[in-house]
Amino acid sequence: MALLEVEDLTIGYQSQRGFLKAVEGVSFSLDKGRSLGFVGESGCGKTTLGMALMRLLPPNGRIREGRILFDGQDLLEKTDEEMRQVRWQKMAMIFQTAMNALNPVHRVNDQIAEAILTHNPSLGKQVAYKQVEGLSRLVGLSKHRLRDYPHQYSGGMKQRAIIAMALACQPKLIIADEPTTALDVIVQDQILEEIKNIQKEFDISIIFISHDISIVADVSHDIGIMYAGQLVEYGAREEVFESPMHPYTKALLSSYPTLTGEKAQLMPIPGEAPDLIHPPSGCRFFDRCAGARASCRTNPLVWLEITPTHKVFCYQCGRQCGR
Amino acid sequence: MSGKSLDNRRVQKFHWMSRFLSGWAIFRQSFLGKIGLTLLALFALMALCSFIPPLVDPMYQPMAGVDPEISTVTGPSTRHWLGTDFMGRDLLSQLLAGARVAFMVGVSAAFMSVFLGTAIGMIAGYMGKFADTLLMRLADIIMVMPALVVLLMLAALFGQLSIWFIVFFIALFRWPGVSRVIRAQTLSLKHRPFIEAARVAGASHLRIIFRHITPNVLPLSFLYMTFQVTSAIIIEAALAFLGFGDPRTISWGMMLQWVWKTGHMFNAPYWLLPPGICISLITLSFYMLGRAMDEVLDPRLRKEGQTD
Amino acid sequence: MGNGKQTILELDRIVKRYRTKGFFFGAHGQDVIALNEVFIKILRGEIFGLVGESGSGKTTAGRLIVRLEQPDQGKIYLDGRDITGLKGKASKDYSRRVQMIFQDPYQSLNPLLSVFDTISEPLIIHKIGNAEAREDSVWQAMKSVGLSPPHDFAHRYPHQLSGGQRQRVAIAHAMVLKPEFVVADEPTSMLDASMSAQIFNILLEMRRRLKVTFLFITHSLAAARYLCDRIAVMYKGNLMEIGPAEEVLRNPKHPYTQALMDALPKFVHSGGVKRYETLLQAEREVSGYVGCPFFVRCKVARAPKCSREKPPLKKLDDSHSVACFYAEPGIKTRSGGKA
Ligand SMILES: Nc1ncnc2c1ncn2[C@@H]1O[C@H](COP(=O)(O)OP(=O)(O)OP(=O)(O)O)[C@@H](O)[C@H]1O
Ligand SMILES: Nc1ncnc2c1ncn2[C@@H]1O[C@H](COP(=O)(O)OP(=O)(O)OP(=O)(O)O)[C@@H](O)[C@H]1O
Ligand code: SF4
Ligand SMILES: [Mg+2]
Ligand SMILES: [Mg+2]
Repeated sequence: MALLEVEDLTIGYQSQRGFLKAVEGVSFSLDKGRSLGFVGESGCGKTTLGMALMRLLPPNGRIREGRILFDGQDLLEKTDEEMRQVRWQKMAMIFQTAMNALNPVHRVNDQIAEAILTHNPSLGKQVAYKQVEGLSRLVGLSKHRLRDYPHQYSGGMKQRAIIAMALACQPKLIIADEPTTALDVIVQDQILEEIKNIQKEFDISIIFISHDISIVADVSHDIGIMYAGQLVEYGAREEVFESPMHPYTKALLSSYPTLTGEKAQLMPIPGEAPDLIHPPSGCRFFDRCAGARASCRTNPLVWLEITPTHKVFCYQCGRQCGR
Repeated sequence: MSGKSLDNRRVQKFHWMSRFLSGWAIFRQSFLGKIGLTLLALFALMALCSFIPPLVDPMYQPMAGVDPEISTVTGPSTRHWLGTDFMGRDLLSQLLAGARVAFMVGVSAAFMSVFLGTAIGMIAGYMGKFADTLLMRLADIIMVMPALVVLLMLAALFGQLSIWFIVFFIALFRWPGVSRVIRAQTLSLKHRPFIEAARVAGASHLRIIFRHITPNVLPLSFLYMTFQVTSAIIIEAALAFLGFGDPRTISWGMMLQWVWKTGHMFNAPYWLLPPGICISLITLSFYMLGRAMDEVLDPRLRKEGQTD
Repeated sequence: MGNGKQTILELDRIVKRYRTKGFFFGAHGQDVIALNEVFIKILRGEIFGLVGESGSGKTTAGRLIVRLEQPDQGKIYLDGRDITGLKGKASKDYSRRVQMIFQDPYQSLNPLLSVFDTISEPLIIHKIGNAEAREDSVWQAMKSVGLSPPHDFAHRYPHQLSGGQRQRVAIAHAMVLKPEFVVADEPTSMLDASMSAQIFNILLEMRRRLKVTFLFITHSLAAARYLCDRIAVMYKGNLMEIGPAEEVLRNPKHPYTQALMDALPKFVHSGGVKRYETLLQAEREVSGYVGCPFFVRCKVARAPKCSREKPPLKKLDDSHSVACFYAEPGIKTRSGGKA
């Protein structure tokens, strides 16, 4: 059975101009021990989705429709108190602004121990601090630096401390929102490696959010491509990369410089993403799509299954396949 | 981010106008701001009305006009709505004239001190090094000097001070607070990439100061002006109450002084209360205005959902 | 490369130190050496890439070139003339020839100036043309960075633009003076992939049409490969490797460059193989060594030599130089990776 099942999730923000649908009709499921990556350009709703799964939306954000089934329970029907039990114990999040998530006035080990103790008060201090040491070994933080304050850490070390904190209660699911964006390639590589190892060792599921395709591809089994609040393509990593179907996925891949293969001319996607308060009807990628026809705008979109694991949300793809 | 910029796309052509309008929208949501503004409007109306009574009858001259039939303290009547003072002068017209003086003193002293403070703060922040140290030490010295005491000493030395001298003196004493804030703001602006971009483009220091820094600190200066008005009015009132006001102008502080000096503190509430209440209310209203402006200027103070 | 082209800009053994403040009055902490004897020659018309991790001194090099900062040692030459001591008019003239695009488009535009005012500002500063001619130049600059139709954008303010659009305004602001040399400091690090690609193509187009020379600062090897003719790899203020972009990235010779290549996400960039393995898992614990800056992390290093002596930049062939004792010409690297 899937650990996490999301059905038809629609999330929005109340803004001055009206209701901004940041995420619309997103469905996916995630099995135990698998990792799923969400990719898309800035503002496409990745963070919103992650926050909604944790039920941590800002006050003006609201989940309009849909269901979030986690471990067999509907998260949207839980009370705030019940949700607090689930959060951190069963699912944890590494935030986009993680570097600032550590409290500057407390020592790092105290902060991690605190996280353990708030959820398992019965453990006792001794055990908790022992666990902190174990965690730090796991994420590659030197034991000797644990008693430092956060400002004495480099960006990479802070990030490791945050990961240790997320792991503190042995969650079943970790949502990582751009966990390495501000880091150098070498540090980033080490941290991604660490995340992969931890996932294997503890059979944790991970949702990985980034706008950098190459990073997501590195850690995820499955990949969801998001555009303007909607999921537009979903499939196993190899399928999405080797035979991308949606024009947006193709455009995204060809706008990304690589180090292998021929040095090809980059093809930036022209134009800008649509307004999410008054989204256009039909396909949202219409204005920027090279293969668009008038019918894309008028016909309702349906998900097209290319293989049992690979789906695409594009009208033209369906026509080409003759379905 | 991109969603945000799309929001604004259609609406605005003129930046200042649009900034003003969106600022106004936030201001209107502030309870304090609305009260403050209403009160201020009332006081402004009083100041404007201060010209009317003398036109009705010369005996309503706030300073020189004496009711020929009354030569002592009287309570409210139809002839004198608030009563008369010990010489038979009309209290209402004095109160109205006091409003005018309060505005004059408050606004002009605040304006001068903010002007000084902004200029000095910007110079100190931008030039740094020696100029910064010198100006800021000077600011420190002035800041720790008790303005009222110094003014009293001067008054004792030179006899009565004219109202403009008092205004000027208040300005001289009140700029350091402003200049500290402006200096901090200038310092933070100075290393912002857009200032560096201007430098790389070859802009002179003067151009950077006037084109790039000044417009970015002015809103803050205006904010400080509202707070400065409050303190200027209080200082002036205190001086007048202690008997060192300008004898040729009527101010609320002076009215209080007369109450006290003629020994009517406890038996003529119609004389004592109006100027006292007016002083409290006008300073309060400027303060509330300042707080509301604070919210407009500092997005961090806004409530959720108010942001643009 | 090289032989026919002339040098436009030369950094001659530049040293830049930053003094960091200590806790107590007067006393200062350790100096940060942001650039350590950096020697680079940039050829007219090329895009020269400066890559390296955070804090390696890339921005500092750029700031020295546009004279926001003065070097502690060494000289910078533009067309053979020393520019470190320029003053007054000469300094202003220099700013017409050398411009900079800043990293963060959310910070590098004055929030109170409209797009039109921002772009025309340099023209006014240098008193170029009358109002009409200036307007034409601004229009042209806006079109060339893809802000079209220009009148649609001219009256907008930065907060009404997306990140990509802002960066284009910043580029137009730098290009409107028609400079010969432009420092582009990570112009796309705050933008996502498709926006970056647009900016890259704008820069390439500028180079083609206006024959501008670029110093392109980046931490992305892939971006450097796409844009640059030659690249230099920096580490903690030191030049580690310099050579034609394609050559350095296909056949990296310095252990640090190799570590950078290893660290790239495997699936997209290198098909899943670690190639060189030159990075130590745990840093060496050493104190007070004066040798190679990469020594503490280098797997290839041999103790006495690497820790005692700083490796000089040595030429492998006429365009490719490496600052490592054990780098050798030829395709195979010492560590024997399958290149
Ligand atoms: N608190 C909020 N109030 C109103 N709108 C919001 C709020 N937070 C986000 N939005 C809008 O919702 C949309 C999705 O935002 P979100 O932060 O989820 O994007 P993202 O994909 O995480 O982007 P990025 O890659 O920049 O982090 C954007 O258009 C954004 O402007
Ligand atoms: N004004 C300054 N005062 C003190 N130290 C500084 C200053 N500017 C830079 N440094 C230091 O100099 C070194 C080089 O910094 P620089 O900004 O050039 O790095 P960079 O390669 O551009 O890094 P990034 O990729 O993060 O932009 C760093 O160690 C930095 O901390
Ligand atoms: S000189 Fe020595 S320490 Fe430096 S990179 Fe080469 S092998 Fe490594
Ligand atoms: Mg996000
Ligand atoms: Mg930099």
